[in-house]
Amino acid sequence: MPLLIVENLQKTYRLGRVDVPVLRGASLAVEEGEFVAVLGASGSGKSTLLHLIGGLDTPDRDPERPSGITFDGRDLKAMVTRDLDRYRARDVGFVFQFYHLLPELTVIQNVLIASMVRRGPGARSAPARAAEILDAFGLASRLGHRPAQLSGGERQRVAIARALINEPRLLLADEPTGNLDRKTGNAILDALARIRERTRQTVIMVTHDPSVAARADRVVNLEDGRVVSEHSRPLRDS
Amino acid sequence: MYQTLLTRKYLTSKIMPLLASVAIVLCTAMVLITWSVMGGFLKSLVASGRTMIGDVAITFPNVGFPHYQDLVRRLQADPMVEAACPMIESYGLIHLPDGRNELVVVKGVEGDSYNRVTEFHKTLYWRPLTEPVPKDEFGDDWRLRQHSLWAGRLADGMALREMDTQRAQEVPAAVFGIEVAGFNIREVWGGYTPGVVRVPQSDGTLKDQTVLMFESTITLNLLAMDPTGRSVETSTRQVPVANEFQSGLYDIDKQTILVDLGLVQQMLNMDEAERIVAGSAPDTHGVVVDPATGRESFEPARETTVDPARVTSVLVRGKGKQEDPRPLAERCREIYRDFAAAHTGVPPPENIRIATWEDQNRTLISAVKKETGLVLFIFSFISLTAVILVLAIFWSMVSEKTKDIGVLRSIGASRSGVAMVWICYGLAIGLIGSIAGGALAYAIVWNINPIHDWMGQQLGLVIWDPRVYYFVTIPSEVETDKAVIVVLGGVVSSVLGALIPAARAAMLSPVKALRFE
Ligand SMILES: Nc1ncnc2c1ncn2[C@@H]1O[C@H](COP(=O)(O)OP(=O)(O)OP(=O)(O)O)[C@@H](O)[C@H]1O
Ligand SMILES: [Mg+2]
Repeated sequence: MPLLIVENLQKTYRLGRVDVPVLRGASLAVEEGEFVAVLGASGSGKSTLLHLIGGLDTPDRDPERPSGITFDGRDLKAMVTRDLDRYRARDVGFVFQFYHLLPELTVIQNVLIASMVRRGPGARSAPARAAEILDAFGLASRLGHRPAQLSGGERQRVAIARALINEPRLLLADEPTGNLDRKTGNAILDALARIRERTRQTVIMVTHDPSVAARADRVVNLEDGRVVSEHSRPLRDS
Repeated sequence: MYQTLLTRKYLTSKIMPLLASVAIVLCTAMVLITWSVMGGFLKSLVASGRTMIGDVAITFPNVGFPHYQDLVRRLQADPMVEAACPMIESYGLIHLPDGRNELVVVKGVEGDSYNRVTEFHKTLYWRPLTEPVPKDEFGDDWRLRQHSLWAGRLADGMALREMDTQRAQEVPAAVFGIEVAGFNIREVWGGYTPGVVRVPQSDGTLKDQTVLMFESTITLNLLAMDPTGRSVETSTRQVPVANEFQSGLYDIDKQTILVDLGLVQQMLNMDEAERIVAGSAPDTHGVVVDPATGRESFEPARETTVDPARVTSVLVRGKGKQEDPRPLAERCREIYRDFAAAHTGVPPPENIRIATWEDQNRTLISAVKKETGLVLFIFSFISLTAVILVLAIFWSMVSEKTKDIGVLRSIGASRSGVAMVWICYGLAIGLIGSIAGGALAYAIVWNINPIHDWMGQQLGLVIWDPRVYYFVTIPSEVETDKAVIVVLGGVVSSVLGALIPAARAAMLSPVKALRFE
């Protein structure tokens, strides 16, 4: 069974009296260990889709068109607020286009805060784990720096480290290279690839850039609020 | 906890909320200083109110009650009672050296026993001083010089007797409240200087003359009554003034004179006296004619009784500090009941008024209490500005940090967890502000007198004028429980101010927060 099943997802924003349908029946299945790229034009609803998958937002409920997100057999619709908070803390990690680091915290604190929020058995070993991930990202000497003292690429690597510190089963990346030049963007994608080689991390990455999408195992297109075509490539043997 | 981490970081990196903290410092300090000073003022008032009346007064006004010596004995035998003394309280008209008449409250007391109950010797003003009073920097106090002038004044005042040099015998004397005669001038440093009056001379000129009350003799008029309360006659005596007292309560210092009890009893016909029992004497007016010799002689009345001396009050001082004098009052009532049962001609216990010092000073004390309460209320109300300030600053900080809140939600923070960030922060701001405010208040109140003096010298600003407040020094004690209440109040206010912004942060939709520009 796929790790994530998205079925017939509807999301409509209401601007005054006008309904703006963004997702109109998007469906997607992601296997454990898969790296899926969602390709779509700007405004096609890519971020909206990720937010829904990550439990930050809720899809429309239309009794005539049943829809849902199922993660590891659990229906997000059935989760109460507290379960959704826990789902975000344990099972998913977010990476954003604009890094979204907390400016007052140092690099290491920005990573550790995710484990502090999660509070769990892994909290003890979190500092060591954070140092290890940051070391792998080449940031070992920057642990005490503030985000403002880092370059964009470095910040994004800190953001990825924060998303991974709790060892989530699903990484949701929203145009992680969208704000970086091609070279830096490629470096970020290389780093991600290295991690996947080791952990077979499941990743859903949205982007409007086909060349970035091409680094994924599988690319899907988001058009008209639907996942219209899937350019499937065979899963790399692990 | 990520909340404490963020609070610590915000505290060290944000200036604005520290301004809120400063507001809390000022508000807590303001409230605590006011409360301490006004509370201290109230305490001084209560203390000086007690100096003149003891803890409990047993009173039957006007006519008074006999056998008071037995009542005093019974009271002093009780383990709750430290001392008891008789007193007559009446109104009198005094004629002053400059010709004015003043209506005064006359308290007839025995110096010794009255002193045991009220320690009134401490209030006697004219006495030799070796050290100037705290505010008298230039040594203007008369009592520092001419010690010979004050020699014996203290003893005379305590005894309520004075040596009449012409008659070479001790005579009963009076001790005046220091403001009664109105000659003494109250100085800024809190003491008195004898005043100067223009006295018309025989040749028609006016001559300046310093009035020393304790050198003067006044005319005292009292209205005597018979045991049924009917006015009998006005009795008038010349009474020398032995000293003056300063109780610290303006009303008492302005209205009261102490006079030797024996003298007052005599003047009011309340002393022990032999009385012919009505109808027992022959209608010969006491003159009998010896039928044999025809010589007239006096015959004693056949039946006489001794009317015992009376007083209107017995004052009682309890053992120990007597924070709450009511149990003592209760005990006094029981003792009076036994006393009344043992004697005839004593007013029944139901008619006797037994009042604690609190009862007697109720109006003044409750006025100051109400005033303190009112001022505290107003200041606490003003302190709401600090709450509003915290609210406003936190509100704008929540706006500024909207994206961070979205990030926290995206990594799994709950709504309440995000709210706790702000409450935690408010708590920290409140703790810092209130503790600093409390410390500031301590520092100011402890040094309030030097600070006040300095303000007086440098800025010409005298807020606490001893001529108005009646105490030379400003109360300078911070009570711990008050400090704790005020500091807690500051913390609570700050948290209250943070509450609404915290709720707002919790209500933010994480998606909108993340999309926030
Ligand atoms: N809160 C909102 N209210 C109304 N409309 C919204 C809201 N959020 C998003 N939209 C609209 O939904 C559409 C999809 O937005 P979304 O951010 O998901 O697109 P996107 O594919 O991520 O675009 P981009 O590549 O520019 O990030 C857009 O047209 C946007 O204007
Ligand atoms: Mg987007």
